[in-house]
Amino acid sequence: MQGILRFLEYSGFMNVTPGHVLMILIGILFIYLAVRHEYEPLLLVPIGFGILIGNTPFLENAGLQLGIYEQGSVMNYLYQGVLKGIFPPLIFLGIGAMTDFSTLLSNPKLILLGAAAQLGIFLTYLGAIALGFTNPESASIGIIGGADGPTAIFISSRLAPHLIGSIAIAAYSYMALVPVIQPPIMRLLTTPEERKIKMKPPRSVSKTEKVVFPIAGLLLTGFIAPGALPLLGMLFFGNLLKESMVTKRLADTARNAMIDIVTIILGLTVGASTQATTFLTPQSVLIFVLGALSFMISTAGGVLFAKLMNMFLKGDNKINPLIGAAGVSAVPDSARVAQIEGLKADPTNHLLMHAMAPNVAGVIGSAVAAGIMISYLM
Amino acid sequence: MFPAVSFNLSAIQADHLMLAATGYGVVFMSLIILYLVFSVLPHLLEARFGKKANDTEPASARAQVARQSGEVNASIAMALHMYFTELHDQETAILTIKKAAKNYSPWNSKIYNVINFKGTVR
Repeated sequence: MQGILRFLEYSGFMNVTPGHVLMILIGILFIYLAVRHEYEPLLLVPIGFGILIGNTPFLENAGLQLGIYEQGSVMNYLYQGVLKGIFPPLIFLGIGAMTDFSTLLSNPKLILLGAAAQLGIFLTYLGAIALGFTNPESASIGIIGGADGPTAIFISSRLAPHLIGSIAIAAYSYMALVPVIQPPIMRLLTTPEERKIKMKPPRSVSKTEKVVFPIAGLLLTGFIAPGALPLLGMLFFGNLLKESMVTKRLADTARNAMIDIVTIILGLTVGASTQATTFLTPQSVLIFVLGALSFMISTAGGVLFAKLMNMFLKGDNKINPLIGAAGVSAVPDSARVAQIEGLKADPTNHLLMHAMAPNVAGVIGSAVAAGIMISYLM
Repeated sequence: MFPAVSFNLSAIQADHLMLAATGYGVVFMSLIILYLVFSVLPHLLEARFGKKANDTEPASARAQVARQSGEVNASIAMALHMYFTELHDQETAILTIKKAAKNYSPWNSKIYNVINFKGTVR
């Protein structure tokens, strides 16, 4: 009888709390969104399943070494890659190896949209300060507006490790919800005429420009914001592997096998880090609200800056302001949203290639923003 | 469970504003530098390599290459793609009708079991 009681005491049924049930439902929702609606499935499936793993109740502090926060557990070992900021640079290496910067090189002025769309990061930073978060916590929360999961994880691993779970979940959730969050803001801030602006086709870019870009890009941004070196260094290194055309095997590994392995472990452990007992706090709710605000402000910042640029541009140099929203990075979803909204306004207007320029510039912009925050606050 | 949330603007100090303004400014500055460099680079490369090409290629050929628009390139790429994907090196020459019927197996045959095991029970 005592054995049965002991078994029951250790079982999930005896240790379940409403928080666990809530988080399990959220995990199932993530998996549902990924499988049914294909919202960022490569991220939401591992994160959703990680939430299920992290929130399967068990007797905590019984020396079972099961939970992600228990020293010695398998999940804890895997989570070190997140906590120590190892996984985000590896993800950036893969992103660099799969990103074609030629749209950005063919029309370099679109780089500025990637800078403008970082507005949400800094305004949300101030908002978080006003809500009582500390300086490093506020910087980590603000970066959600960069819509870049690895950057958000990287900066919070350095500045606010106790908030990684909430920040990562918020960042990835909003990245998955790009097609839902961005279009109303884009339509609100643009007129039907502006949405119909046709941009001139991008020029062809030489191989030399493509090879020079990662080298010059690293040196220029690295000298300005050395705090972003782990991210930007890997991003540009990955891009050089791709564009040099002499390291095809390395580029293939970086953009396929390696990024897939890291994404699986990162997604699963970030999901598991949402253990109800540590995750469900008022702070997490506030982070979700601030993250949404940050994302919206960044979208608006990109669109409005495109309109501002149009005041100084003439003829076929004008920019369709819809592509400004793609400056929030979230590659390539926000570029795809710009394309869809552009087609709604004019079925012959294809904006995807143009939107990819601010999109990839946004990746650089958010990494630079993270680097500045780290340099200031560490 | 949730304590009241207060939005206190006075918590924002001068150094917070400074960080936000400087941070946004530096993001802009770094991307403006990238913009400037990569606006100038194609002209530099053209001046550098264009000069070399001047010595080797006739002017008419250079002008033709420079004038090719993205649309022309896309059309050429599409034509090549269609040409290569429609090439058939080998045809199998075997016409196959997909077999729909299941293979018979005594393991899932009800009638086989009825006939054979009826006697055993007796």
